Amino acid sequence: MKQAVILAAGEGQRLRPFTATKPKVMLTIADKPILGYVIESLAKNGIRKIVLVVGYRKEQVFDYFGSGEQLGVEITYITQERQLGTAHALAQAKSAVEAEFLALPGDNLIEAATIARFANLKPNAVLVKRVDNPIRYGVVNIEKGTVKGIVEKPRETSNNVINTGIYALTREIFDFIEPELDIPDVLNKMLAQGRIIRASETDGTWLDIVYPWDILNLNDRVLRQITASLGGTIEAGVAVKGTVVVGKDTVIRSNSYIAGPVVIGSGCDIGPNVCIQSATSIGDNVVIAPFTQIKNSVIGDDVNLGPGCVIQDSVIDKGVVIQGNFTAFSSQTEVKVDDEYHQVTVGAMLGEGCRLSHGVVAHPGAIIGNYCQIQAMKQISGRLPDRSLVI
Amino acid sequence: MCGIVGYIGDKQAQPVLLDCLSLLEYRGYDSCGIAVSSRSIEVYKDAIRVAALKKAAPKLSGKIGIGHTRWATHGAPSQLNAHPHLDCTGRIAVVHNGIINNYQQLREQLIGEGHSFTSETDTEVIPHLIEKHYQGDIIKAVEAALAEIDGSYAIIVMVAGEPRLVAARKDSPMVIGIGDREKFIASDVPAILNFTNRVIYLEDGDIGVITADSVKVKQHQAEVTRTENKISWTIEDAQKSGYEHFMLKEIHEQPRVIRDTLAGWMSAPEPILDLEAVRDNGAEAMLMLACGTSYHAALVGKYIVQELLKIPVRAELASEFNYYGQALAGTMAIVLTQSGETADTLRAMKRLKEAGCRVVAITNVVGSTASRIADQTIYTRAGPEISVAATKSFIAQLMALYWIMLSYAKIDASRLSSLTAELRQLPSKVQEVLDNQDRIAECAKYLAGFKDVFFMGRGINYPVALEGALKLKEISYLHAEGYAAGELKHGPFALLGSKTPVVAIVAQDNTHEPIVTSIKEIKARHSPVLAVVPEGDDSVEELADSVIVVPQVEPLFSPVVNTVALQLLAYYTALQRGCPIDFPRNLAKSVTVE
Repeated sequence: MKQAVILAAGEGQRLRPFTATKPKVMLTIADKPILGYVIESLAKNGIRKIVLVVGYRKEQVFDYFGSGEQLGVEITYITQERQLGTAHALAQAKSAVEAEFLALPGDNLIEAATIARFANLKPNAVLVKRVDNPIRYGVVNIEKGTVKGIVEKPRETSNNVINTGIYALTREIFDFIEPELDIPDVLNKMLAQGRIIRASETDGTWLDIVYPWDILNLNDRVLRQITASLGGTIEAGVAVKGTVVVGKDTVIRSNSYIAGPVVIGSGCDIGPNVCIQSATSIGDNVVIAPFTQIKNSVIGDDVNLGPGCVIQDSVIDKGVVIQGNFTAFSSQTEVKVDDEYHQVTVGAMLGEGCRLSHGVVAHPGAIIGNYCQIQAMKQISGRLPDRSLVI
Repeated sequence: MCGIVGYIGDKQAQPVLLDCLSLLEYRGYDSCGIAVSSRSIEVYKDAIRVAALKKAAPKLSGKIGIGHTRWATHGAPSQLNAHPHLDCTGRIAVVHNGIINNYQQLREQLIGEGHSFTSETDTEVIPHLIEKHYQGDIIKAVEAALAEIDGSYAIIVMVAGEPRLVAARKDSPMVIGIGDREKFIASDVPAILNFTNRVIYLEDGDIGVITADSVKVKQHQAEVTRTENKISWTIEDAQKSGYEHFMLKEIHEQPRVIRDTLAGWMSAPEPILDLEAVRDNGAEAMLMLACGTSYHAALVGKYIVQELLKIPVRAELASEFNYYGQALAGTMAIVLTQSGETADTLRAMKRLKEAGCRVVAITNVVGSTASRIADQTIYTRAGPEISVAATKSFIAQLMALYWIMLSYAKIDASRLSSLTAELRQLPSKVQEVLDNQDRIAECAKYLAGFKDVFFMGRGINYPVALEGALKLKEISYLHAEGYAAGELKHGPFALLGSKTPVVAIVAQDNTHEPIVTSIKEIKARHSPVLAVVPEGDDSVEELADSVIVVPQVEPLFSPVVNTVALQLLAYYTALQRGCPIDFPRNLAKSVTVE
């Protein structure tokens, strides 16, 4: 297989606030969007012809990936004007695909090994995986290595083999798409008409991202794989332990303590006396003032953290400005998303461009929308809509 | 980034190479060159653009050749540093895209072995290494040479008298185009798409041996098959990486340009410019000169300097200054030119130097003429700008002015630190403007229905009104005029009416009240008003016909977000009117005539 169609048009509603201004595939983990990891895994398997189906906020995908040259791939962009479904997205790419191709989502984290064997299979085939919570996914019924049917989000099932959304296909699928909108429905139709679809199981990394705190799981997983490299300026008296990446033009000032795995982007100004613990990702152009401690968190580009902050198990999106003494402590808590309650251990989730004055305390599980403004000494909890004002 | 090409076949190589090179100029254009081989190798190269090389080059005869267009990394753009590079014998020619990390060490070693170098480039070690290993088999020599290199490369090697080219890549792109009895090699597919749509992609570590009739590819000395692909898309699609126009691509690059530009400067231990050194005799005045969009940056610069350095500034059009302007010896002068080749600006620089002034150039092109004349040069890191309408280079110029002046600001420490922190926020703020493009496109649809448009601003946003009007007229062909808000009543009011919309830039500084008053006066003349307003300011909500909200920033930085909003407004107006956005009629990217 030499070509892959990556579906990168989706918005990711349940991930709000983080997807209000960017497509789901551009969520950044360890200073790189998820889609970047997907393309790298394909390139490592010799798949260098990439068709990207883009839609929601597509300019951010264009701007980051360009022609694909940086990653050593050749990208063709196809726009899906309205995000109607995966099969609809694939149909848009009809003019750009060859006889055989892979189709896969751009917002699930995969490693090169996950698809190494699959990439050489003859179509049609589906990559499947065993998971603990199959009812969130499409469950695949398999007999002697071939697919018998795919059941989307079953109420209950004893089968824990699910569809990863990674397919090896031929152009024949285009004859079956209309009027279906999602690929599993199309495959079921193909099965009904006697086509054979094989199932190939992987035990490699395949991580889905559905809720905001999933960003932390992905971050943790990615950071375990990094190779240390120290760019920029690291002043005397900085302790660097474990695997740490520091980008160019970043300055880390005296008496800071960095315990990897940690990734710090380029152009940052950190310290003196800042403590960054595992597993933390920090974007580009981030300023962190003295006596701030960050642990197991993801900090976006252009963030400015004032002195004396404590940030645990939290996600702070790009452009957030915090004047100082912000506390986002972690604890087990119940978080409501789309009327469902989830038991999770998290700190706070802050959308982009928020401005927090001094001494704000965020309760565990607080989800703060984009561009909120919070005045000094406030406690915040629960869910704040975008552009809220807390006074 | 650089671009490379190669040709072998039954045509004369020179015109093919030049055609391909002109399509690679988006990868860099500070110098270029070609080499053509028959029995011996003839090279023509210079620090000029491909179009100029086309005119200047003598006819080189031969059906095998290589070419290169350069964006300087190691060594300034000059004739000597331009590719192709030769070995000592002049029989091996190489073009290269990439960076060789261990070139210093290889160079010293080769010099020790008696090789002589003519350029400052990292590339030149390659032909000499090949020469060193050459014992009749060019492929073995290239393999041995590459084994010594640490870095990234796409190279094409040509040997005098040999009817083949050798190509190799690692971490830099390369494709081979297949024709009947001819083959093409290039950094990317668009460069050769005028000749063939059948291509082979080389993989990292591949070495290709290309003759007019065959392509053989080896990886780790074993022959491998690389399949042929048919290309179905067009040249322009590829270079614009998904965007409909270069202008939109460049507008969207701006958050990154700001971030990259500031990162390099902010982390540097020294200020990027030694302003004291250009302040002879403690001169307490400054002169800024530029043309076109750069002149608008100079006008914004005037306000920045006055606010931060508290010294008087003159900002002048270089084209006017050349005919009457006086420069006092010892005046600090800053000139701004994206290309570094603007003829009027260059002439003004020479006059300033003659008058005994110290001149600082702010330019986007490394080694351009402006940088050679100037006493000090600041490079904006905007990357190649293709669209004739300047966007990202303007924003990068503003960043240079902000950062220089903040380094020497005579303001209290707390304001300085809050300004510096705010400056770092600009990439996100500009992204916020871009995220609002659907709303701006709606306003543009409305604007596209008129024939004449006024732009008005005040204070530091007066130049932004000029820039907004310039963008609109150059790409959408609408008649547009930028005015200082206070000046509308001195004449232009006579033109106002329901068919002349006014784009008003509302800032949250001491100009806020007079601007609101101006809007009221304009509304009294029934002109539609489109207001660009910072978030949270609802003072004109009732007055204006429509509003574009931009993020709130420190007023000193408001030109950045306001200009980006007006760039998008001009872009979508032109799109609505079906204009050829990237290449407007009668205009050229860099004006090298006076």
